[in-house]
Amino acid sequence: MDTLNLLMEGFASALTPINLLFAFLGVLLGTAVGVLPGIGPAMAIALLLPATYGMQTDAALIMFAGIYYGGMYGGSTTSILLNTPGESATVITAIEGHKMAKAGRAAQALATAAIGSFIAGTIGTALLVAFAPIVADFAVSMGAPSYMAIMLLALITVTAVLGSSKIRGFASLGLGLAIGLVGMDPVSGQNRLVFGFAPLADGLDIVVVAVAIFAIGEALWIAAHLRRTPVKTIPVGTPWMGRQDWKRSWKPWLRGTAYGFPFGALPAGGAEVPTFLSYVTEKKLSKHPEEFGHGAIEGVAGPEAANNASAAGTLTPMLTLGLPTNATAAVMLAFLVQKGIQPGPFLFDNEPDLLWTMIASLFIGNALLLLINLPLAPMWAKLLKIPRPYLYSGILFFATLGAFAVNLQATDLVLLLVIGALGFAMRRFGLPVLPLILGVIIGPRAEKQLRQTLQLSSGEVSGLFGEPLAVAIYVIIALVLLFPLILKLVRRLRGGSAPALVAPATGPLDGPGTLDAAAESDTAQEQDPDRAAHTVPQPAPQDEHRRKDQP
Amino acid sequence: MSQVATPAKKRVELLFAAFLFLIGVLVLVDASQIHVTYSQADPVGPKTVPYLVAGLLMASAIALGVTVLRGNLAEGDEGEDVDLGQPTDWKTLLPLVGVFVLNIVLINWAGWVISGTLLFFGSVLALGGRRYVLTFLISLLLAVGSFYGFYLGLGIKLPAGILQGVL
Amino acid sequence: MSIVVGYIPSPAGEAALDRAVLEARRAGCTLVVVNSSRGDAPVDDRLIDARQFNELEARLAGEDIDFWIERFPQGGDAAAEVLRVAEARRAELIVIGLRKRSAVGKFLMGSTAQRIILQATCPVLSLKAPDHL
Repeated sequence: MDTLNLLMEGFASALTPINLLFAFLGVLLGTAVGVLPGIGPAMAIALLLPATYGMQTDAALIMFAGIYYGGMYGGSTTSILLNTPGESATVITAIEGHKMAKAGRAAQALATAAIGSFIAGTIGTALLVAFAPIVADFAVSMGAPSYMAIMLLALITVTAVLGSSKIRGFASLGLGLAIGLVGMDPVSGQNRLVFGFAPLADGLDIVVVAVAIFAIGEALWIAAHLRRTPVKTIPVGTPWMGRQDWKRSWKPWLRGTAYGFPFGALPAGGAEVPTFLSYVTEKKLSKHPEEFGHGAIEGVAGPEAANNASAAGTLTPMLTLGLPTNATAAVMLAFLVQKGIQPGPFLFDNEPDLLWTMIASLFIGNALLLLINLPLAPMWAKLLKIPRPYLYSGILFFATLGAFAVNLQATDLVLLLVIGALGFAMRRFGLPVLPLILGVIIGPRAEKQLRQTLQLSSGEVSGLFGEPLAVAIYVIIALVLLFPLILKLVRRLRGGSAPALVAPATGPLDGPGTLDAAAESDTAQEQDPDRAAHTVPQPAPQDEHRRKDQP
Repeated sequence: MSQVATPAKKRVELLFAAFLFLIGVLVLVDASQIHVTYSQADPVGPKTVPYLVAGLLMASAIALGVTVLRGNLAEGDEGEDVDLGQPTDWKTLLPLVGVFVLNIVLINWAGWVISGTLLFFGSVLALGGRRYVLTFLISLLLAVGSFYGFYLGLGIKLPAGILQGVL
Repeated sequence: MSIVVGYIPSPAGEAALDRAVLEARRAGCTLVVVNSSRGDAPVDDRLIDARQFNELEARLAGEDIDFWIERFPQGGDAAAEVLRVAEARRAELIVIGLRKRSAVGKFLMGSTAQRIILQATCPVLSLKAPDHL
């Protein structure tokens, strides 16, 4: 019952007017950035990092949590109304959701998405409450070798499992680790990668790196390939559902939640796999399988729930182990680091008030989101009328402002531009961003842990394997790295017939690659299974008839 | 990008792999120049991890080069507002970078209100906005608003530059 | 010779289109419908989509006139497109719909109608939406 007490205390502090205000601000901002193209919750939080210098840590964290959950709601709105899923997590929603909207059932699609997200988010957060203390207790009992191994596991799974190309993932990780090295080594006092350039001696500010990679790199990349044709939204009234819709939605919501949370909690589980699994399950179980591909409400309800439950799941390793598994969680962690809070297994022990306030605010934010999304969906869609030049100029403007405000040094802006250019090049050459940002955040901590571990063992490498748990984790890392090789071998032995048998079992590893096979009826996605991760279906052609000949 | 011939694309990607390799070399050389005396308290020392990172960078750069030569080319990052059917639009990109650099040059001398106004105004023009008067007023509002917002709200004093005393 | 109408799906736009159809039938010349968007916002309701295009087409086909629909999803501003088409088609009349706007709004945004009236080389007929009449 200790947990419940802590949670109640969390509610008490989250319900103070000022914190409630920030929760509200967070969900508003989150929904807005979810709706707007080109800005996601990770970028929004990165842009806000500088503004949080003067803020209470709990208020800022509450706001960020609201942005994180809000982005999920806003993303489903655009998926349904425009068929332009902002994130890979809402790709599946767009399949049935947009069909529903086209068939005049936009209101029901939005309603099932919002209510499903609310239910999944609430259950997911409750699961977080239940599991986080257990994981945290366990984490505290881990020794340095195990913690070192877990950090490596996080770096390697995110690098090797997510994203389309492992090589590009590792290149990105290497860049991130190199950025993390810049500055004075805290143990020996030696300068590394400073090149006699004084501003570098303090290291690269995590805020500057996050803003450069997420905001400048992204804005420049979009500007270089800006879509210039407007899309037509589907007019929508206030979302509502009939009795039949409720009846068809509630089971998919619960099943989606059951898929979403565990996958979110796994390192590198992500949201794509559970949304996809939920879609396939609903298609199989539905009493109306003929409606799939033409706007089946189950196909919106399930994946949307899975998506939000996985968002809650992602917070479990982030809060208990200090391991972020998606970009938004990584930026939130960067915020904690910047506030001088050491993320890691001791976070729950050291900062119980902060964390329980944040968790309580997740419940509150979720309820607020339902309130602002159900009646106001048509208003949110209006945000899409902002002309693109203003939107992307705004990103550049606030990114510059924020990065400059950190130290009031023009050199920070030079670094911002240089790292932003790197972010641009990474997007151009297909390097995933997440390994880099993880490398910057976790790299220095992993190094410290490594040196501490080996100090305890007086330099003996065997000290790294001093705990059974550490050994077990290294075995898992080896399996993750070797899995593709094993798979190849198995395929060769079975003479090429194997993939069909192996595929279901490899869900999390093949990731969205397998997704295409089942989304057969829709979305002209890439079919190359190795490279199909994070593809976004093109909006359905709406301009078939441009001109008519004179009769 | 699809309009660009494959050999040219390959060359650009190999160049990027070379760039990664170069960063790896940089990390390696920098680490090798750290002078360190062995200490009981820190058997790993400040050099080990940089060596590992340099190795990772160089190895992945080489591997990237090999996959590119084998024809596995990169796909640009997709997004809601990204149209990969078009080649990189340098006519938008270069002015944007230009405005950004102008801001860096001007920010301390002219102050944030002026350089920020130019930053937003120039970016909108670079991105194709054509409503000059409206854009200018929005730019000015954003710059002045953020100047006072940061000063009053967060206590951060952005440079006033030549407008010192006026603001 | 032709009659050019600037069309957006709004009451004023419909009013302009109705009147332009009348004028075209009376003059016995081609009606050119211009619909354009700058294409700078992710969503623009002034641009007609495929369904609206088909409806517009079906409607004009029932009016017993020659017509031609010009749709620019990535056009310049509406005034420039209307003027350009009017020039190219040697329009004898341009028909536009007006909407109400405050003085400040006009100062900030400029007025499409004003530019067309000032720069056109042919007569311009402007209409308000029915409820303003």
